[in-house]
Amino acid sequence: MNATILRLELLRQFREFMGLFFIVILPAFFYLIFGASMDFSDAPAGNGNVAMSIMIAMAAYGAVVATTSIGGQAAVERMQGWGRQLGLTPLRDSTYVATKALVAVIIAAMPIALIYTLGGLTGAQGDTRAWVLSALIVIPGAALFALWGLVWGLAIRSESAIAVASGSTVVLAFLGNMFMPLSGTLLTIAKFTPLYGYAALARYPLTEGWLATMDGSDLAREPLWVPLVNVAAWTVLLALIATLLVRRGRARQ
Amino acid sequence: MHLRGLRKSFRSSSGPVVAVDGVDLSIGYGEIVAFLGPNGAGKTTTLDMVLGLVEPDAGTATVMGMRPRAAVQAGRVSALLQTGGLLRDLSVAETVRYIAATFPRPRPVEEVLARAGLTELARRKVSKCSGGEQQRLRFALALLPDPDLLVLDEPTAGMDVRARREFWDTMRAEARAGRSVVFATHYLQEAEDFAERIVMISGGRIVADGPTAQIRERNSGRLLSVDLPRHGAEDLLSDLRALDLISEVSTSGNRVLMRAADTDAAALALLRDVGVSGLEIASADLESAFVALTGNAPAEAPAGTGARTRPDHGPAAASTNGTGPARSAHPSEENR
Repeated sequence: MNATILRLELLRQFREFMGLFFIVILPAFFYLIFGASMDFSDAPAGNGNVAMSIMIAMAAYGAVVATTSIGGQAAVERMQGWGRQLGLTPLRDSTYVATKALVAVIIAAMPIALIYTLGGLTGAQGDTRAWVLSALIVIPGAALFALWGLVWGLAIRSESAIAVASGSTVVLAFLGNMFMPLSGTLLTIAKFTPLYGYAALARYPLTEGWLATMDGSDLAREPLWVPLVNVAAWTVLLALIATLLVRRGRARQ
Repeated sequence: MHLRGLRKSFRSSSGPVVAVDGVDLSIGYGEIVAFLGPNGAGKTTTLDMVLGLVEPDAGTATVMGMRPRAAVQAGRVSALLQTGGLLRDLSVAETVRYIAATFPRPRPVEEVLARAGLTELARRKVSKCSGGEQQRLRFALALLPDPDLLVLDEPTAGMDVRARREFWDTMRAEARAGRSVVFATHYLQEAEDFAERIVMISGGRIVADGPTAQIRERNSGRLLSVDLPRHGAEDLLSDLRALDLISEVSTSGNRVLMRAADTDAAALALLRDVGVSGLEIASADLESAFVALTGNAPAEAPAGTGARTRPDHGPAAASTNGTGPARSAHPSEENR
């Protein structure tokens, strides 16, 4: 790991105010509006309350926006010739990837820290195990979505890839059951979308698989293998596509 | 730097394209060499293999006795690449610091900025730098490892005349400091002004290789042409061949082609003493240099094909009786 490069890469993220807005401020705002300020926020949910559940979802959402945009940036930068410039230095590819990953984790930790603090101040409740475990699941889970950004960056090869990748996370977050509880057919479809498994796993220490509903119908409990299979399948699929796209890029050079 | 039987082809939508087709070349310590050739001749691909950015299909490249990638990692060779390759949101000084951090013992950032003439631009964002300023930044990055061999791929692309002159002034100073420099260009003038040796590349092969003085002599600056009269053509040709001022007298259709180092004196002698008509003077461009040095037009034209096999290209070609010299058969020809 190289301290100067890590510092400069972090500096680049902090200078990008609009990026930080979507990563940190917007999800925190969502939590306050859709979580903390709602009447149902102190209704019980698993080992805690609904506010806690929404808090975890919003922190997970912010973390995913962070890793997606950093992954997309990395791909676009390399495509646009920075990769060639770095190819003229002793810097190893593995060091470069590790630095970018660490930057992604640090930036992804920001919305988690802010939203968990807000949660603690505004009445999110859960047992200690749920607080700690959910945060620990969100970070590596979000790292997976660096691949989502990477795939778009490799496919589109321009700055618009970053917009497509991080913009698409809004839709995927809806389908991932992160913004509001889904039910019926939509929930069945949702289980196949990439953010579903990640969000369900992050909330698992709190809910232990019990799904929230909007209409007061009977609660259903989802077995742990559903989100696990979702995450595993999407990881393999995205990694496969990324590999194919890297090969295509190399052949064309 | 030694290249042996270097070969590389790429896949494209219209089948495989051979970019480099068997290049053998040795460049010694302290030489300043120009890779001269038209776009698509294989210059960039060859240099990419020298730098270990592209693996050859066949053949070997060694730099300072090492594999290219090892030479790059040891900081013995560095390069200024063609456009792209900078992060637009970093400042000039940050970019230099970033790349400096990848080397174990880089030159000091301040020193490199000063040598590239960037001290005053250090805080400017890369996105706000002109093309020439960005090129100087790439040059500063290339100086960081204090390399023995500096590879420059079209270094003055996108620079205006003044920036180009300043760039080469800087480069001369670096060369005096004892570095080998290999640069690719499609400007004949640039190769003649700066290189001690010129390697001409066309269609992925080396078509000429020699000291610049020798190449300049053979491609003596400018071309003259006059009408070939219907009567007394032989007398005129022998008169012309007798003149010391001109060389390489040849005919093409109803024109006589000549070369001269001092075209003013040659033109005066032709008009006053020989009594020619229809005199034209054109500066030698890359294509005519290729014709002069290799007897062939560069790139796509295969050996032995001349203007006669090509259709006419508008009124200019028609005015020279539809045939004209070989070089006017190219649509890109513009100085007749």
